[in-house]
Amino acid sequence: MILTRLISTRHEYDTLFAVYVPIAAGVFVVIVIAIAAAVFRYRRRPPEKAARWSEHNGLEAGYALLLTATVAFLLYLTFTAEHRVDTVSARERPDLTVDVTGAKWEWQFTYPSYGIVVRSGTVGHQPLVVPINEAIRFRLASQDVIHSLWIPELRFKRALIPGATENVTLTFTRAGTFPGQCAEFCGLRHADMVFTVRALSPGAFADWARAHARGG
Amino acid sequence: MTVHSPPLRAPRWRSAGWVGALTSTDHKRIGLNLGLASFAFFLIGGVLALLMRAQLAEPNGQLVSDNTYSELFTMHGSTMIYLFVTPMAIALSMYLVPLQIGAISIAGPRAALTGFWTWLAGGLIMQSGWLSAGGAGRAGWFSYVPLSNGTNTPGVGQDLWVLGVILAASGTVVMAGCVLATIARRRAPGMALLRMPVFTWTGLVTVLMVVGSFPVLIVAMILLYIDRHGGNIYSGFSGAIDYQDLFWFFGHPVVYVMFFPYLGAAAEAIAVGANKRWFGYKAFVASVMAFAALSMSVWAHHMFTTGGVTNQYFAFTSTALVIPAGIEYFDVIGTVIGGAVVLRCSMLFGLTFFVQFLIGGLSGIFVASPVLDYSANNTYFIIAHFHYTLFAGSVFGFFAGVYHWFPKLTGALLRERLGKLQLAVMIVGTNLTFFPMFLVGEDGMPRRISRYAEHPGWATLNRLETAGSAIIAVGVAIFLVNLWVSLRRREPAGDDPWRGHTLEWATSSPPPPLNYEAPLPPIRSYAPLLDLRQHAEDREREKAPA
Repeated sequence: MILTRLISTRHEYDTLFAVYVPIAAGVFVVIVIAIAAAVFRYRRRPPEKAARWSEHNGLEAGYALLLTATVAFLLYLTFTAEHRVDTVSARERPDLTVDVTGAKWEWQFTYPSYGIVVRSGTVGHQPLVVPINEAIRFRLASQDVIHSLWIPELRFKRALIPGATENVTLTFTRAGTFPGQCAEFCGLRHADMVFTVRALSPGAFADWARAHARGG
Repeated sequence: MTVHSPPLRAPRWRSAGWVGALTSTDHKRIGLNLGLASFAFFLIGGVLALLMRAQLAEPNGQLVSDNTYSELFTMHGSTMIYLFVTPMAIALSMYLVPLQIGAISIAGPRAALTGFWTWLAGGLIMQSGWLSAGGAGRAGWFSYVPLSNGTNTPGVGQDLWVLGVILAASGTVVMAGCVLATIARRRAPGMALLRMPVFTWTGLVTVLMVVGSFPVLIVAMILLYIDRHGGNIYSGFSGAIDYQDLFWFFGHPVVYVMFFPYLGAAAEAIAVGANKRWFGYKAFVASVMAFAALSMSVWAHHMFTTGGVTNQYFAFTSTALVIPAGIEYFDVIGTVIGGAVVLRCSMLFGLTFFVQFLIGGLSGIFVASPVLDYSANNTYFIIAHFHYTLFAGSVFGFFAGVYHWFPKLTGALLRERLGKLQLAVMIVGTNLTFFPMFLVGEDGMPRRISRYAEHPGWATLNRLETAGSAIIAVGVAIFLVNLWVSLRRREPAGDDPWRGHTLEWATSSPPPPLNYEAPLPPIRSYAPLLDLRQHAEDREREKAPA
């Protein structure tokens, strides 16, 4: 019995982003105010009035400790999130496997268990159809140069490097139609290497798979 | 003078006029030539950027072909990195470091001159790709394999790009070696390492990183050249990862090469503008050393999405950069507090450097996190991040240095009012260009696409960016006008118009061939001229009551 928990890359990203943004914004505001206030307070004085002190190593060491603590905190959050995205999800038993092949300048998605092949290219712009709330294992391979599978909805991308197959396990959590695109420059028509994702409820996905497996 | 002093013979110009100026072994002349040539490349790279922005003003822009667009972004990035920001960093060090440490010349002057010409040849060869039948290099400024191999990107233009990078990087290494040797061997008596000015320290870590990392780029590019001509060097998955490791082993340190001298320039401008010694000197020196050391071990954060590297290690080193970077901000604030601030152009550009770079730095903490980078990688979020460091940061630091040292180089002042106008225009243009890129990138727009779908909001944001880029161009034009006016109708600057702190202000403007005609003042700290001034003030005060 394998205990699995669906890992949503989107959720992990959003949670981490929601911690990083206020920290960054807060630091920015504090530093800009400090610089502006110091400039305003000490402007237009005769040069002889300038203070002569130029060091406060104790204060600086304390500040460095504060920075170190911040780094440790951010790394803790990042490492735990990355552990879930990279390690836990990889151990999940997939509900569906899709073989993704990138080739200039088209995506091919193969569903081995259904015998379905869809292509993003000029013939019909067929979408990648996936069920929601299921762990989907994408086996990524490239036929020519490096491509990158980029699905903004999932806040996730992974390079397809020729010569090896990479596995990633991803989960869609809401139904809908989402854009996808190649994110690694791959030559002349890189901008056209786009695809569409249709995320369906598991029932609707089963209907789609049955229809296409029979028709195909 | 010490027994090690070289014979006091001025570097002679062997011929008059242009030939003499271009073959001089005077470090000031080489530095100036390198700076002028780099600035010319900056203008070229800027025009390429404007063309890209024009193409992207509309979702399905038809201004240039896909092939031309690939050349534009490849050559924009390559020109800015190999031919402007990096060599300009070396140019500042080449000109200023010997003056700041009281040296009469650079170590290896002929090597430095050779380095300049090698670099320039590389730049011209890279640009000559535009004239070849298939066009210029078009595999991106990092030209990943297998895209950049002979099968996927055939043609002379890409070969010229590879050769250009090899020569430009080779010349840069040689020049950096000369600056390094000068710091090691030519410091004036009394100029201990911990009395070197702040700018010289940033120059030192810069040339250390160049010497440590550029040879790797040169080797990677030679191998790429062989690979392109049937050598089969980078094959399969491991070949692709190996290339990326080699490239980014250069490609990340160079990011700090393109940062430190501008940090140093902004720091000098701020310390002089605040009439106060730079705060926290020892902590600053320790932080730039830590910065340089860490920067050599963060390279694979460019490769988080490849699955071929140890993400956590590189996330750790990359996030740890917060600590030395934070120290530098602490030191800026500490310098201004208690000072007597005069808001001249150099000071204002220096402060703007720190404020705008902060946006680049803070967004850098985001992308140091693999989970966040899985989204940001290769999108406009990354473009926004590194343009905030390189343009909103380094270029403003460069202008801080220009306004600060122009009087030393020429003996004339730049016009302050034009400078402030330039600053205001550039702040508006820069943020209008690069901030929307964070938003459109967070929304998923990838980099390096010549066309994009009618995605809600993208067209508006891209139009703002295009408008911003035009405003930046106006700002740069104002600077060119300022240069022209200031050189045509000279306002004499004198030797030390700003009450400078460091030794270059103790000589004439421009400095004589051997840098100093009068004996150097005593060197007891990293601000010897400020020491003299404060000593004189104390003497006055002692006399006054009597």
